[in-house]
Amino acid sequence: MNKSRPLYKPFALDLTGREHLVVTDQSEPPVTLDLTLSNISLWNVRTIAPGIQAPPAGRHRAFRAVPEMHAFLTHHLARASVGLRLYALGSEPFIWDTYNIGSAAGLTSAEMFLTQSGPPRRRVYCCHCKTMIGDVTQTIALCPGCGSSLQVRDHFSRRLAAFMGVKVDAEIPGDIPLPELLAS
Amino acid sequence: MKLKITDIIALSPSIRQFTLADAAGALLPTASAGAHILLRIPGPERVWRNAYSLVSSPEDRHAYKIIVRRVEHSRGGSVWLHDHAAIGEVVEAETPQNLFPIPRTAQKHLLLSAGIGITPMLAYLQVLRKPFELHHCGKLEDAEAFARLLPATPNVVLHTSRNTLDLEQLLAHQRLGTHLSVCGPESFMDVVLQTAQNLGWPGAKVHKESFGGATGGAPFVARLRRSNLTINVGSDQSLLEAIEDAGLAPPSLCRGGACGVCETALLEGIPDHHDHYLSETQRACNNTIMPCVSRAKTPELVLDI
Repeated sequence: MNKSRPLYKPFALDLTGREHLVVTDQSEPPVTLDLTLSNISLWNVRTIAPGIQAPPAGRHRAFRAVPEMHAFLTHHLARASVGLRLYALGSEPFIWDTYNIGSAAGLTSAEMFLTQSGPPRRRVYCCHCKTMIGDVTQTIALCPGCGSSLQVRDHFSRRLAAFMGVKVDAEIPGDIPLPELLAS
Repeated sequence: MKLKITDIIALSPSIRQFTLADAAGALLPTASAGAHILLRIPGPERVWRNAYSLVSSPEDRHAYKIIVRRVEHSRGGSVWLHDHAAIGEVVEAETPQNLFPIPRTAQKHLLLSAGIGITPMLAYLQVLRKPFELHHCGKLEDAEAFARLLPATPNVVLHTSRNTLDLEQLLAHQRLGTHLSVCGPESFMDVVLQTAQNLGWPGAKVHKESFGGATGGAPFVARLRRSNLTINVGSDQSLLEAIEDAGLAPPSLCRGGACGVCETALLEGIPDHHDHYLSETQRACNNTIMPCVSRAKTPELVLDI
């Protein structure tokens, strides 16, 4: 059991909250989300697909991309009041970036809820040149920053929202294991 | 430790500030903001152990300051301090403990106090590094005394009428990084905590100090099974005090039902819970009790002690 890997619970609203903001990097909201409630807002990336119930006007925002959503989230949280619950659903880097934006705005872990969904794609942090590498699906990964071949370790940093990548033959030069697909 | 009363200031007819220094002139242990001290006050029949919040600056190791309201129908601690304690008097005290520390992750502090619950806030105000807002509710006759202790800034508001503090409005419009700290009588804290909860405040952002928990009540009998003792708990003492008077020294800390240190297994009888520590489920089980504040619904309790 790897202690650095966060465990996620299925999506559920925390009904002790007064306002609920659900953000996702997916195009569809979680199926269990009851958008008829008046105190729920949904933010997603791209438009909501046909056939999915749209939230009431003013309670839904579709962004062009995650950076735009996160910039707007920072702005929004600076003006929000205690009583808000923030839910992030999607890829591991997305939900932890969201968590860190929430923390900086003053939300505690009791007010934020993360649910991982989507295919296992890792963000990898090159320990040698600090470059972030997105959408990594296998170890060994090539660092576009310094050209190192990185072993993607099962070591997740919540602060960086990324996995640790270390030069694959750092210990014994030339000792290079076979590449493997990342299962999670 | 032994503390000597070095100064007494009457802030109002019923409120006095006492300055306490080490009886031998040594430096005192540092007490962080929000800490309280337990004084052993000699009573006619027994020694009271009363907790008082320190109002002095946490950096001042030469003296502790406490502010005490004279409570007529109380167990006698405050009356002794007001009527008998004089400058030069030496009192026994326990090292300060802090069960109400400043929440360090707060980006803003919302401080709400009522009555003599202002005391830990006075220590807070001297060391807070983040923006704060203090609302204090008190009786009109105390307003002048408290106004002198508080900075005259717009973020410090004294309320002498219930109508001027709109709790819902205040708690509904606090930015996300705000932490709420509350101190005052039980009824005041209940209203604040309930309002906060209704507005979605998470428990992690709500901090409270419990003040003067042990208020006495109907006398009852406690059987201490392991010690093979039967003791009478008088109407003006707590179960914990009665146990201590019997010569036992069970662990205890806050003596206000908040910390849980004195939790004792209950073998028989139905307790009258007054603590803030046990969950609703634990209370309903009737198999554990906080002897510092809780009493009995049955004429007799049997404790595993």
